[in-house]
Amino acid sequence: MKELKIFLIIVGLVLVGYYGIEPFAHHEMYGGLPKPDFNYLDLKYDIDIKGNPQNGENLFKQNCQSCHSLKTKNLKAMMDENTAMQAFNVVPPDLSNIAAIVEKHFLFNFIKNPQNATKNPKFAMPPMSQLSDQQIVDIIAFLEKTAKKEITGEKILEDACTRCHSVKYQKIKAFTHPENLKKYLGKVPPDLSLKGRSKTKEYLEAFINNPQAVLPGTSMPRLGLKKESTEKVITYLQEISDPHKEERNKIGLWVLGYMLIGVFLTYAWKKKVWQKIK
Amino acid sequence: MRLIDWLDERLEIRKLIKVTLIDYKVPKNINFLWSFGMLLVLMFAILFISGLFLLMYYKPDSNLAFDSVNKTIMMDVSFGWLFRHVHAVGASIVFLLLYIHIARGIFYGSYKPPREVVWITGYILFVLFSATAFTGYLLPWGQMSYWAAQTITTLFEKIPFIGPDLVIWIRGDYAVADATLTRFFALHVVFLPVLIMIVMAIHLYSVRVVGSNNEDGKPIDKKKEGVPFWPVFMSKEFFVMTVFLLFFFFLVFYKFDFAMDRVNFEPANPLQTPTHIYPEWYFLAYYEVLRGFFFSQNLGLIAFALSMVLILFLPWLDKSPIVSGKNRPLFQIAFWIFILDFLVLTVLGKLPPTGLYAWIGLIASLIFFGFFISLPIIAKIEKKQLEGEKK
Amino acid sequence: MSDKKDMSRRDFLLYAIGGWAAVGAGATLYAMYKTWEPLPEVKAAGVVEFDLSLVKPGEIRVIEWRRKPVFILRRTPEMKAGCPKRTVRTSLGDFTIVIGICTHLGCIPNWESDKNIWHCPCHGGEYDACGRNIFGPPPRPLEIPPFKLNGNIIVLGEEGPEYKAMIG
Ligand code: HEM
Ligand code: FES
Repeated sequence: MKELKIFLIIVGLVLVGYYGIEPFAHHEMYGGLPKPDFNYLDLKYDIDIKGNPQNGENLFKQNCQSCHSLKTKNLKAMMDENTAMQAFNVVPPDLSNIAAIVEKHFLFNFIKNPQNATKNPKFAMPPMSQLSDQQIVDIIAFLEKTAKKEITGEKILEDACTRCHSVKYQKIKAFTHPENLKKYLGKVPPDLSLKGRSKTKEYLEAFINNPQAVLPGTSMPRLGLKKESTEKVITYLQEISDPHKEERNKIGLWVLGYMLIGVFLTYAWKKKVWQKIK
Repeated sequence: MRLIDWLDERLEIRKLIKVTLIDYKVPKNINFLWSFGMLLVLMFAILFISGLFLLMYYKPDSNLAFDSVNKTIMMDVSFGWLFRHVHAVGASIVFLLLYIHIARGIFYGSYKPPREVVWITGYILFVLFSATAFTGYLLPWGQMSYWAAQTITTLFEKIPFIGPDLVIWIRGDYAVADATLTRFFALHVVFLPVLIMIVMAIHLYSVRVVGSNNEDGKPIDKKKEGVPFWPVFMSKEFFVMTVFLLFFFFLVFYKFDFAMDRVNFEPANPLQTPTHIYPEWYFLAYYEVLRGFFFSQNLGLIAFALSMVLILFLPWLDKSPIVSGKNRPLFQIAFWIFILDFLVLTVLGKLPPTGLYAWIGLIASLIFFGFFISLPIIAKIEKKQLEGEKK
Repeated sequence: MSDKKDMSRRDFLLYAIGGWAAVGAGATLYAMYKTWEPLPEVKAAGVVEFDLSLVKPGEIRVIEWRRKPVFILRRTPEMKAGCPKRTVRTSLGDFTIVIGICTHLGCIPNWESDKNIWHCPCHGGEYDACGRNIFGPPPRPLEIPPFKLNGNIIVLGEEGPEYKAMIG
């Protein structure tokens, strides 16, 4: 009984201490994360017109294809990657699945004024001010038609992130050369191999949703990812940064079960031995 | 049995077993807190073995270290992740064991005569473990590794006259760099563990010579009151060990974040400090004492240094003839305040040192020293009382 | 301890604990054993592809496979090999493909194109253009690595039907 009391005191102290240095301290330090807004309500969108994908395709060819490819339709960018990289210091993304990844209102505002939508004055794409609202909606309708419905986190990463970020442990090199990225963004963006482990899910969500709100002054643009695509990318990042998680959880159960047997055995033996002492 | 006979003829192992294990008597009235010494031996063995397997793939080079740990060991080597988790969690939990072991010693007065040498060697072990943990923490070359080493080594800069040169000497560079990594590596994997083993042997030997203390603090008549080390004491020891290992492996597999900080999964960047840096939990209390005297850096430094060595002087601060805290009501009050204060300091050490936290930090730091000041006073009062009783 | 039955119960528990600990030790040893296995990237490097059309007739190429030299010899009619079981047939013609490690004591033999043989520098062993030992101490012909043919691409480290036919 007396020993149980000592044991409980230790358990209590350890639990209080643990709560203090982990959940509580981390909340105090990293708590105040801004709430992500996946509707991008700071951007205006009151358009109520239907897009025409046929028209959109033509408009795409006239206005976008000079820089962007669209592989699912076999549309090649007129500028090859290298030329584009020299011109913009970043390789323009392929747009096959962009409508599946990026939220629609955001996309509309982005095409109109990329610098404003991404909250990044240095953003490489020029505003498409020559396009009317109807034309933009047409293009979006076209992009929605080409986009895959089911898209994996890995693919989202490729379409949305790896034109600037490398993922060394997956042998993915950023599409853009580091020197150009330095010119474009001021520094080479960090490698993403372990971000799923070095950052919490909440942090990644808030940051991807609105980089400026989390890290004021960062050169990462807001990309307008949908909630769903954000979650998929984060899940993917977590998987690649902790590839043995499943194995660990499974083996853990075996080990704990094994130790539990040990606890019973040693307890029985101790009881037996001590019976004669007391 | 034949083998035993054969060995017995040459090494007298029967006698050895009898003398070391069976004739060795420990008091009956010791609780499971007396098992923590063996738990520490066990933990050291676990750290040694898991470390050995990390060493087989680790690369002590500032360009390679991070990937060798986080890619090769954590992702590519079969069960590499297991050895890393065991080593990291073990290195952290060994301090929990140490603190309980020490608190046991304080409460039951195990530092008092004739156990001063046990206490001193124990303290040396604490220092050695701290040094091992500190040097080891740099090895993964993550952001926390880097900035912990950077800030702690900067502390030496404040030493008058020699400080600035000393820091550069310790680092082997103007900031923590490759040279620091390789020398920390050498200390961590060879020098410090060897020292620990030597001092551990002396510590165990000195316990053996003077015998274990007990709850009542009164020397026992070994013939009548003692129980044999084997199997009686060990049967309990095994039980405590399995319970501890159950807890330990739970942490290893499911709750390791406290020992493997997220920030340390970012590679070291000498040009950017993380938004929040803090030591590992077991150094937080001293760190808070350092910050606690927020109005004076020098005072903080002195307090910091004192906070880590004062405990060594317990045998001379507390000269009360009563050994066990069980029989010392006044001491018990001081003890529990001290324990709670240490907990408060630990938690505060991780919180931003601003506003209210700064003031609580100051008060808690003062209370920390208050404990050591109260000991001679309590001893005096108790001596008076004893004399009064005699009259 | 007077009671015999008691004694046996204690012993039984102690044995059970011993057995339990042995299982844990075994599992630990297994994990340790696994850590010494070659890393995934090493295993991946155990499969190497090579385009045979890069070799001119009569020429010999040495490529590294599993840290060993592999000789790729494109035979010419003059070599009059006559070793169907040691010939890799492709649309480009016949090849000798062997691990370039002397079966005597492991030196690497040199190709002597004037005589169309491999000559081992260590103890003078000789092999013909098929890799058969024809002189000196080597006890066996040069070994043939497991391979697979994809047209004119040879994949070392995987066993294709041609390889199986050779060793069968
Ligand atoms: C690596 C670290 C250490 C190891 C492996 C270790 C091991 C042990 C062992 C096996 C015992 C005998 C069993 C027991 O009473 O628990 C013991 C006793 C003791 N240790 Fe330690 N110890 C370590 C660190 C320390 C430290 C840091 C201190 C204090 C500063 C300390 C103070 C003592 C004292 C006072 C005793 C005697 C306890 C008594 O008889 O009441 N030890 N130690
Ligand atoms: S090693 Fe080649 S002949 Fe001896």
